[in-house]
Amino acid sequence: MSPTRQRALIVGLIIIGILIVGFFGLRTFHAFREFRGHRPPPPGEVETDVELIRDWMTIPFISKMYHVPPPELFHALDIPPNGNQDKSLNDLNREYYPKENGIVLEKVKAAVLANQPPPPPEPAKTDIPPATAIPPKP
Amino acid sequence: MSDFLLTQIINYGAPLFGLFLFLGALGLPVGASILVVAAGAFSQQGILSWPLTGGFGLVGAILGDAFSFGIGYYAKNWVDQHLGGSPTWRSAKDSFDSRAGLAIYITRFLITALAIPINLIAGGSGIRFRRFMTYDSLGELTWIILYGGLGYLFGSQWEVVSDFITNFGGLMLGLVVFGIGVWLGLRSLRINTAANQSTKILRD
Repeated sequence: MSPTRQRALIVGLIIIGILIVGFFGLRTFHAFREFRGHRPPPPGEVETDVELIRDWMTIPFISKMYHVPPPELFHALDIPPNGNQDKSLNDLNREYYPKENGIVLEKVKAAVLANQPPPPPEPAKTDIPPATAIPPKP
Repeated sequence: MSDFLLTQIINYGAPLFGLFLFLGALGLPVGASILVVAAGAFSQQGILSWPLTGGFGLVGAILGDAFSFGIGYYAKNWVDQHLGGSPTWRSAKDSFDSRAGLAIYITRFLITALAIPINLIAGGSGIRFRRFMTYDSLGELTWIILYGGLGYLFGSQWEVVSDFITNFGGLMLGLVVFGIGVWLGLRSLRINTAANQSTKILRD
């Protein structure tokens, strides 16, 4: 390889490297901030955040994730379960509501919210006894 | 593409996951790392069985790597005919041979964008298949445990992990490209300095 071509290759590699590092470095920084903001959910806890529902998910998958029976979700969408178990929300939307983009996702989110168990009641306020017994005054 | 594959994995389970990793190792853009993180999360949610999914994934990835190594191996004659006489190619081959193990291991999970080129170079450079498979299996095992484990840990919030991992992989790739450029530059500088010094000595 001639010295000129070699120099061009070296300069090219360094410039491309810097560009890639800059681009992905920024994205990694943002992704890391997001990553640090999230804590893993406690094991065994039922998911309640409906914003995690995506249009590639199927009804049985969402049903398992949020502990909502599949018939409730199919009923909310007004479609039969038979033949639709393996279809994604996106496919169901295209097939049953072709003119209403995203409606299936919205309906499923609403149905999951409506079927979530009520939050556990807050414990009743009680007077906290003192840590050490106060002796009665003589 | 990834969305379609995710739907198929939740429908058909571990064997299909293994098939996708096999195709990914052959160079098809399936987003293999994202699928591994997702499969870890699906295992935590009870959709997939983690030992079965991990097993199928590992076998699929290793088989795919073996195939792409084979492609490099059978292309060896062609490469030798066309580049065999070039000193640059010979030098690159020697320098790859001395660091092949590390390169194979690291590109399985840290700089995954370079995994396929490394498989092809490994096959073409004539390193032994058993040596390749040892480092490859270790690297793929690390990949499945590390990425799948993070997916398992974060469960339904796995997308945050996958976003971070994808960008981090890109950052590593950039650092490697930059590092190669700097290394070549320093090497060329060293060679030039040595050549100037020997000319000066000869002249004196």
